[in-house]
Amino acid sequence: MLLEIDHLVVRYEKAVLINDISLGVDKGELVSLVGPNGAGKSTTLRAITGLVAWEREIKRRSTQGDILLEGRVTFDGERIDDVPAHEIVKRGLVLCPERRRPFRELTVSENLWAGAYLEKDKRRSKERLEKVYDLFPVLKDRSRQISGTLSGGEQQMLAIGRALMSEPKLLCIDEPSTGLSPLLRQEVFDKIMQLKGMGITILLVEQEVSTVFKMTTRNYVLSSGKIIAQGSGEELMENEVIRKTYLGL
Amino acid sequence: MNILISGLITGSMLALLAIGFSLIFGVARIINIAHTAFYMLAAYSIYYLSVRSGVNPLLSMLVAVVAVTVLGLLVYLFLIDPIREHEGAVLIATIALAMVFQEVVLLTFTGDYRTVDFLITGFFTVGGVKVFYQQMLTFGVVLLTLVALWLLLMKTKLGLAIRSMAEDREVANLMGMNESRLAMITMGISVALAGFTGAVLAPLTVLNPYMWMEPLIIMMAVVVLGGMGSIKGSFVAAFILGFTEAAVVFLIPKGAFLRGSVALTIMILVLLIRPEGLFGVAFEEER
Ligand SMILES: Nc1ncnc2c1ncn2[C@@H]1O[C@H](COP(=O)(O)OP(=O)(O)O)[C@@H](O)[C@H]1O
Ligand SMILES: [Mg+2]
Repeated sequence: MLLEIDHLVVRYEKAVLINDISLGVDKGELVSLVGPNGAGKSTTLRAITGLVAWEREIKRRSTQGDILLEGRVTFDGERIDDVPAHEIVKRGLVLCPERRRPFRELTVSENLWAGAYLEKDKRRSKERLEKVYDLFPVLKDRSRQISGTLSGGEQQMLAIGRALMSEPKLLCIDEPSTGLSPLLRQEVFDKIMQLKGMGITILLVEQEVSTVFKMTTRNYVLSSGKIIAQGSGEELMENEVIRKTYLGL
Repeated sequence: MNILISGLITGSMLALLAIGFSLIFGVARIINIAHTAFYMLAAYSIYYLSVRSGVNPLLSMLVAVVAVTVLGLLVYLFLIDPIREHEGAVLIATIALAMVFQEVVLLTFTGDYRTVDFLITGFFTVGGVKVFYQQMLTFGVVLLTLVALWLLLMKTKLGLAIRSMAEDREVANLMGMNESRLAMITMGISVALAGFTGAVLAPLTVLNPYMWMEPLIIMMAVVVLGGMGSIKGSFVAAFILGFTEAAVVFLIPKGAFLRGSVALTIMILVLLIRPEGLFGVAFEEER
């Protein structure tokens, strides 16, 4: 397995956000993590990319409560649960965060360069930039525009492009289609399929379950911090209880 | 003309101070009240070196800036960094630090007013107004520094990281930017700017142990007017306030003491009418 999460627990004070989950993603897979709002999907992605530990550090330093973070996360054969957030991307794991979060005051191309921050070889970064522009031509057209002025769809493309600039082995994407028009959603999903076709391993968090289940190799259903089901899209859709109670379909 | 010259000089000086203050606030959310105290220390270091010890004035300036920067980094490492996430504590600690600097200066140099010689003497007159070469020199050097700073921020990888971190430190972390390292570097740049401002201003001003207070107030007004954390805002606001101040002094010659209160008034008005300032963005929650 490229990514293995083993008995992950996340607690903020008394609130249990993640309650002992284990999951894995194999090389080349497109795996989804779905579930109702507040299930803990984003927290899972934040935990594996070091952001929960980072937040814990801040809380401790400012003496504003504590976070409990337990479990083992292995990536590419190495444990990464105690690697600081800013070193995770070095290992080849990157998160395209919820709500896209481009650096709004920076231009489009500056955002992309920021994504390749750790690449010392400027030529290599430049090559990646061209690849991202090929994938998202709209970003090339708007390369000098301030990112805050982009439309939601463009910002999502930018956020994915920025994450790709680190040339990740595993790309985690948190709710890329949320807040977009149906047309743009489809475009985002097409791009994700294109990335999969290029051999990029993806862990995708989404609300748009019916579309996502057609794209993925495997899926995990998360609810109240627990994995309550997993399997192929078809298998999960066959299960009436899961379909109605947890996926709202 | 008088307003123009002193507005430009004060404005560019304020810009240097305010940008330095904004930088470290943006990157690490550190409100460094002692910022202008570093500026005072640099001015006094030059006085000590060039006037008392007879060291070459230019060399004194260089030594002063380097020494103040090193001191700033030590202060950061041992005082600020451990409490960095605790805004209230940082505020109190840096106020205390400024007081300590003030007392040290008071004990070492007494409260007497001190002056540092001009680097170049002489003046020319434009429209009946005396312009000292020293004023032009200071203005030129400050302007050059502002340009260099702009290039650093806009054209280098370090600048990109500083701007990214200032905007969204969580995402900056995801991109592999090391927060503590950047905060340290930014603190160095910030204090170096304060020291540099003190160094180039020293010949044009009168040194006393309380000289950090007034620029602190005006600098805060600049930062609030420009928008907390916005570098562009600090720049524009610095010149606005620089000219306002010069105009006040010019229009009410006896009212020079009003400068601080004008700045404070502007600051309060901005806070009431448009708290995010000219260019600031209303702070978004980090999550
Ligand atoms: N910083 C936080 N402090 C406390 N509780 C939080 C925090 N962030 C999220 N939560 C809570 O944790 C739960 C899981 O959140 P999240 O992982 O964002 O869910 P999802 O992404 O599946 O919608 C939610 O109930 C949310 O309210
Ligand atoms: Mg979420």
